[in-house]
Amino acid sequence: MSVVGLLFLLMGAMAVGSALLVVTTARLVHSALWLVVTLGALAGCYLLLGAEFVAWVQILIYVGAVVVLLLFALMLTRAPTGVQTGLTTGNRVVAAATAGVVGLVLVTVVVAGFGGARVSVDEESVGSATSMGDAIFRHWVLPFEVLSVLLLAALVGAIVLSRGRASSGEETP
Amino acid sequence: MIAVHGSVLAQEIEIESPNIAYSAIYPILIVFGVALVGVLVEAFAPRPRRYVVQTVLAAAGLGLAFVGTVLVAGDLPETQNGLARGGIEAEGALAVDGPTLFIWGAILLLSFFSVLLFAERRLESGVTAFAGQAAALPGTEAEREASTRGLEHTEVFPLMLFAVGGMMLFPASNDLLTMFVALEVLSFPLYLLCGLARRRRLLSQEAAVKYFLLGAFASGFFLYGIALVYGYAGTVTLAGIDGAITNRVGGDGLLLAGIGLMAVGLLFKIGAAPFHAWTPDVYQGAPTAVTGFMAACTKVAAFGALLRVFYVAFGGAQWNWMPMMWIVAALTMGVGCVLTLTQTDVKRMLAYSSIAHAGFLLTGFVGVQAATRDSDDMTSLVAVMFYLLAYGFTTLGAFAVVTVVRDSSGEATHLSRWAGLGKQSPVLAGVFALFMLAFLGLPATSGFMAKWAVFTSAWAGDAQLLVIIAVLASVITAFVYIRVIVLMFFADPVGEGPTVAMPSVLTVVTIAAGVVVTVALGVAPQPVLDLAHQAGEFVR
Repeated sequence: MSVVGLLFLLMGAMAVGSALLVVTTARLVHSALWLVVTLGALAGCYLLLGAEFVAWVQILIYVGAVVVLLLFALMLTRAPTGVQTGLTTGNRVVAAATAGVVGLVLVTVVVAGFGGARVSVDEESVGSATSMGDAIFRHWVLPFEVLSVLLLAALVGAIVLSRGRASSGEETP
Repeated sequence: MIAVHGSVLAQEIEIESPNIAYSAIYPILIVFGVALVGVLVEAFAPRPRRYVVQTVLAAAGLGLAFVGTVLVAGDLPETQNGLARGGIEAEGALAVDGPTLFIWGAILLLSFFSVLLFAERRLESGVTAFAGQAAALPGTEAEREASTRGLEHTEVFPLMLFAVGGMMLFPASNDLLTMFVALEVLSFPLYLLCGLARRRRLLSQEAAVKYFLLGAFASGFFLYGIALVYGYAGTVTLAGIDGAITNRVGGDGLLLAGIGLMAVGLLFKIGAAPFHAWTPDVYQGAPTAVTGFMAACTKVAAFGALLRVFYVAFGGAQWNWMPMMWIVAALTMGVGCVLTLTQTDVKRMLAYSSIAHAGFLLTGFVGVQAATRDSDDMTSLVAVMFYLLAYGFTTLGAFAVVTVVRDSSGEATHLSRWAGLGKQSPVLAGVFALFMLAFLGLPATSGFMAKWAVFTSAWAGDAQLLVIIAVLASVITAFVYIRVIVLMFFADPVGEGPTVAMPSVLTVVTIAAGVVVTVALGVAPQPVLDLAHQAGEFVR
């Protein structure tokens, strides 16, 4: 096995292991921090596959923004940061089984659909900034733009549902 | 070294811009554009003017988009030996063809009248039927203050336009990814709008949460189905999936599971049994204008998408999904009819009736009757599209009538309150009776022609048993509709009886449009049938 293959296995094991810790740890903050490890390990996997652009985006957005946002939310809502006992309910066996089956089916799909496909890691064929830009802004440009409309609609909706107006007579234009 | 390499790259790469024919897709862009302008209006226009500006903007935008749709339909090129008209646009994301444009036209017309219902202000004495301040908890001081100050959420107009844009994208999507994005764009604003009723706010919020959770669940199914189909076909374009079904050997399990899961997502939006459980609660809780909009437009959009996915992408596996759809259609009609009988609330009754109609539509969908060149046979596509237009206008009109029958606590939706309505207001009761007769499918109403079209195509498409079930189901629901008519005209009012509030011209126009279309499509359906026929098949 090549060095890349070995590293990939290590990264994969790290991602799966820390993901398990995310859902089993008893402290919310630890859970968020383990998520950093999971997402970081995934970024490593992308990097090893030659998708350097996706890897950096993964670090920037997921590790940098999403997890930080999560931690901010924990901080601002004064969620308990200590050890929580009641977090795992009796449904955990069923939930784990469901997750396992769903994952298994997806792995089967990938193997059945793309098991024979070979992509050379040496060439920058997928996952580079060029190929990503080409895909997003040429072929998928319409769904991409519509997604921004979706986000705007969600934002407007969130403001409608959450914003209380000042109770005094002051009108904001 | 890297820097040098980078600068060389920057010079060498020539960026090819995407090839988008704006002349074919501009109706969608108009709707999204007007929605964005609406958001800006919320930000910059002074509060007292927003209502007028938003209403005019939304109505004008939808009207303009409709004109655009007609113009686009005017110069569609013929393809596939004259069986279809149109082409694949926007880098393969959208299929702008005859059926797409017919559906766009239907959605835009129906949503235009929905805007009028949204803008109705006289019934709530000077404010719209949407919550004054959604963030204020029901029954609190903040809510009372919002209502005394006459606050209203004019954001509903841009939100609704976003939904309309999604509805237009959904049946036009030519790949599953675009379709999923469109599904979310059309659903998200609807979840929000459901929770914004001014009266009975807890019921409304419950409806929104239920719709959101179940809708998110259904979207998950849809997405998982897409993943499985992608694994099977190696592509998400509809034509590519069709090619894979024709050529690939093996892996049928993946395909069948994918089709099944995607069907769950689509049938949920349509409100077909066994995925109908959300319909009555959401239809009852949502503001009635929103309910009418959902009942009319969402159904059109979702059926358009269902037809496209199953006819274009999964057409080759027809014999595999047919039994499943058979069962769903029969079950939907059964559940819809039987449960309509037991309802005591007008909005819930209309909800179950919409489930039953979804079953009738599925009957037309299952009896696949494809077009052949130079024949005037009733194809499934023509029948279903005609049905959608006819049903859309009738149901929108019916919900518009529901908004004007009121008592001191708002809309009087309990059926017992409708007793004696015929003595109170013969015109309104007569109009509602007409809508009921159209639902029932009485000759000379649009409902008859629609059912006739669907049943003819299904019969020719070897779904005779299903047609018989459908006719039996129609007979059962006739009991409900006639009971409502009898209640309105021949029962004595309970207590004070209902009052019929005089609405402004907006609601009157909507009800009138419902009446006109219901009668016109019943008496002279041929022009619209011809139009649907000219639209031809889906492009591939």
